[in-house]
Amino acid sequence: MFAGRLRRVLTLLLGLAAILGACVPQAAPTQPGPGGITNPPTTPEMVDAIDLTGKNIEVVYWHNRPQRDQELIQSMLDEFNRTNPYGIRARAEIAGASYNDVYNKINAAIQAGQPPDIAVAYQNQAAFYRNQGAVIDLTPFIKSKKYGLTEEDLKDYFPIFLESDANPQFKGERLGFPTQRSVEVMYYNADWLRQLGYTEPPRDWKTWEEAACKASDPANRKYGWAFRHDASNFASMVFSRGGRILSPDGSAYVFNSPAGVESLAMIQRMFKNKCAVEIPVGERFGEQNRFGNGEVLFVFASSSGLPFYREAVEKGAKFNWDISLPPYTERPAINLYGASVSVFKTTPERELAAWLVIKFLGERPQTVKWAVNTGYLPVRQSAKADVISAFERDPQWGPVARSYARIFDWLQYAMVESPVAGYDPVRTIIDQEVMSRVINDPNVDVKKLLDDAVAKANEILRENAPRSGR
Amino acid sequence: MNRLLDLPVVRPVGLRTFRPRPPAGRLIIYLVLMAGASLSVLPFAYMVASSLKSYGSVITNNLWPWWPLGDEPIQWQNYIEAVRHTGWDPHWGTWLMVRYFANSLIVSGVIVGGAVLTSLLAAYALSHVELPGRNLVFLGILATLMIPGELVLVPKVVMMFNFGWYNTYLALTVPFTVSVFGIFLLRQHFLQVPRELHDAARIDGANHLQYLLWVLLPLSRPALVVIAVLNFIWAWDAFQWPLLVTRDPSMRVLAVGLQQFMVGEGGVNTHLLMSFATMMVVPIIGLYFVAQRAFTEGFLSSGIKR
Repeated sequence: MFAGRLRRVLTLLLGLAAILGACVPQAAPTQPGPGGITNPPTTPEMVDAIDLTGKNIEVVYWHNRPQRDQELIQSMLDEFNRTNPYGIRARAEIAGASYNDVYNKINAAIQAGQPPDIAVAYQNQAAFYRNQGAVIDLTPFIKSKKYGLTEEDLKDYFPIFLESDANPQFKGERLGFPTQRSVEVMYYNADWLRQLGYTEPPRDWKTWEEAACKASDPANRKYGWAFRHDASNFASMVFSRGGRILSPDGSAYVFNSPAGVESLAMIQRMFKNKCAVEIPVGERFGEQNRFGNGEVLFVFASSSGLPFYREAVEKGAKFNWDISLPPYTERPAINLYGASVSVFKTTPERELAAWLVIKFLGERPQTVKWAVNTGYLPVRQSAKADVISAFERDPQWGPVARSYARIFDWLQYAMVESPVAGYDPVRTIIDQEVMSRVINDPNVDVKKLLDDAVAKANEILRENAPRSGR
Repeated sequence: MNRLLDLPVVRPVGLRTFRPRPPAGRLIIYLVLMAGASLSVLPFAYMVASSLKSYGSVITNNLWPWWPLGDEPIQWQNYIEAVRHTGWDPHWGTWLMVRYFANSLIVSGVIVGGAVLTSLLAAYALSHVELPGRNLVFLGILATLMIPGELVLVPKVVMMFNFGWYNTYLALTVPFTVSVFGIFLLRQHFLQVPRELHDAARIDGANHLQYLLWVLLPLSRPALVVIAVLNFIWAWDAFQWPLLVTRDPSMRVLAVGLQQFMVGEGGVNTHLLMSFATMMVVPIIGLYFVAQRAFTEGFLSSGIKR
């Protein structure tokens, strides 16, 4: 009886939640308004026709950076507020400590019909918002003669950064615009490697595995590789073997390819032979600490961690270290990290104001300032020299500046994991049902694991496929 | 008077007096309990110790870098650095940490006050007032305990936006001023109070409110302390909700301030994070010590273990 009543109460509450959840703003362009402008504008001409004079629009920017960076962003936005001729006032707000926090908050705000004007979002998250009709394609804004980017501007941006925001799930719509990027690099202990008889970091996986196993001495807590529970590590390995996580057209997950099988088999072997150590999920940045302590030879991690690694080594075991491209089979490959900034559907005027804020943040002085203060890569090629020279002068970076400078040469090999909606649960599958299984079970069939994982991932992909009319 | 008590004590000649020895089984139990207690304290000790170490000592897992095992001075400046790290509040002209602290106190205070008051009134109505469908209402209230918080999170945030409460103290406090657990705990407690007290008070002319205030309330002090302490801890530690419903740093609470130390993809300043976390838990520990006895009594008298 109690169970029956409880079920009724729960059904009622779930029903209410479902009704609230259904109140989502529609995204398909509206009927043309004054001046033939739809919302969102679909052509550069429509964007050109928008007049911002006297509108005094306020733009709210949600991000996930700490207070120190919030102050930096706001100082740049204050400059924008002073100099833009349209009276636009931009304000930055911390919406969370992680991309996930921001994602949760935005989803709630979308349901409430009160999204921010712009927000930081990974490509797959932007695709999820787009599926709800909440973010807009920036192509018409970028191409606008009056408000867009010139040919010189576009050439100045690192091409791969711009390409990474063109979403294959939505016919190449640009659901975000880059204001920062980083890449996954291999950190290595140069002194240790030399002691093992290697004069340079391994360029192929066979040599890498051999060096890692040579370095390992579990009795003394020394290991060749620190394994992180991060699907991006797996993606890097797949890329460097010529494979992909998602097909180029975004229609299917393909990480069960031979490149995926080889990568996973190698991880399994590394643990079977005790050449790698697992960093527990709760040990945040544990790989960094162990590297600094001289306990692991290789770590794959974001280039934005360079100053942290420098400090960890300096305060830790004090040795010579550096970064390099991850090993590869035929052609180098590197995993591109970094979220973009998306514009949410509001009114054509506010959308344009939001775009102008993003455009400003991507200009050379701003991208230099951001990169110098955060360790991310600037988005413009013309900013490269300024950032490197700033790091060379900064004692906090010191010799790491040289390593940072080399990353720019590697950008030609950059690849994107998966920009489609629903990739976050797929990442969880890769970590928990694939990588975690092989590190604990030396006999599990890696091909079957990957096939099963890809089948589940493709199911998620289908569930998150673009809905018609949005 | 008991004459036996006046008799002189005569000790048998040649016999020594023995103190009763604790049996070996009890000794083992004590040892196990002590080990368990030490294990419970370990994370706390680690947090405090890390807050007083340099970054280098934290990452090298140096358990005791200070005298006599090491030569590192105690890093008191970590606390100052952690406060500075939170940023400056131009409105109050102070570090944001002060603002976070004040907000946490305000929010926790209002939530505790609200939860205690609503629990008291609801529990009384559900235990002492003859209402049609009373038990059904109670079941309905209890059922809400079984709905996962994640399920109602988004609808609740949507409500805050729609009420115009976003980024206000109302959003931070009002949704938590009713505690289902508190209602349940107090109702169970009220049902244990002899019914005769209620009847006697009614015969003496007391109305419901008078009986609640003058008779039940003094008897329910331990249960109320439990509700107050638990709600205080929940409110003090809350992270996700305050993050979702606020936008200005000046509206945020300590737990949200703690996230300042979790830098995105690069790394984390563990020593500063631990300093901030230590400062954050001090009031909770203080509160527990102050309310310890009543807290334990409350759980014992209501027969609830958590």
